[in-house]
Amino acid sequence: MAATADETEETTDASEPEPAPRRRPGRIALAVSVFGELLITAGVLLGLFVVYSLWWTNVIADRKADRQADKVREHWAEPQESGPGALDTKDGIGFLHVPAMHNGEVLVEKGTGTDVLNDGVAGYYTDPVKATLPTTGKAGNFALAAHRDGHGAKFHNIDKLRKGDPIVFETRDDWYVYKVYSILPETSKYNVKALSAVPKESGRKKPGHYITLTTCTPVYTSRYRYVVWGELVRVEKVDSERTPPKELR
Amino acid sequence: MYGWIWRHLPGNAWVKALISLVLVLAVVYILFQYVFPWAEPLLPFNDVTVDNQ
Repeated sequence: MAATADETEETTDASEPEPAPRRRPGRIALAVSVFGELLITAGVLLGLFVVYSLWWTNVIADRKADRQADKVREHWAEPQESGPGALDTKDGIGFLHVPAMHNGEVLVEKGTGTDVLNDGVAGYYTDPVKATLPTTGKAGNFALAAHRDGHGAKFHNIDKLRKGDPIVFETRDDWYVYKVYSILPETSKYNVKALSAVPKESGRKKPGHYITLTTCTPVYTSRYRYVVWGELVRVEKVDSERTPPKELR
Repeated sequence: MYGWIWRHLPGNAWVKALISLVLVLAVVYILFQYVFPWAEPLLPFNDVTVDNQ
């Protein structure tokens, strides 16, 4: 068929028994076919974008998160040479374990910018409200955000959380065991009050040790925010084998 | 459009098919590596935080 591909050839080749297909469609037919090809291209592009956002970003993010998590674990395994209270927040401050979400451990890092969250981690808020880290021991709200879809999708199953489910935060020295006590399945993205030290919407009025998970909802969109509040139940010291608390066993 | 590209690729049908495949892979690579990461923050699909902006 390669011999007939030359479009300037008007005469039929003698060696070919069939006449060559018509090579000169009208202008309109040409325009329609180019338009059709553009539409197909647009469709394929959109399809690829979906593949990118829902699959490829997860691959990339999980890879990065694993690397960073390994670094944190290695760092923890080293003997503590720096003075007490020296908290290295660059690689991550700890791991979040939410058994109801069935996604293993989620590294927690500082900040909720896309540059942080796109690495497949959960970030604690520094803006507009500064989260209170549980390691400080002070009363306050440990407010976190992570992606619902793509980029690791670490909070994808946030809707599987029910009241009473445990949320465990692991640091170098302690397990912080929280219990979910309130869920807000849909709120405005401007609702920064959800992050306040005493989140009144959750029904609590007194200062305490709270944890807040935020992500977007409904899935695949960012129209609203999904908020889950938990309360500190107890703190367990990490033993030499890093035996997880009974909620994770 | 695609017919035009096909006709202007050198070689026989197999070579053309191979070159086409390479071209498609190159385009997908450019899209995944540069175009989509650039376009994504401009699209309202994955903002997860609450803020006052």
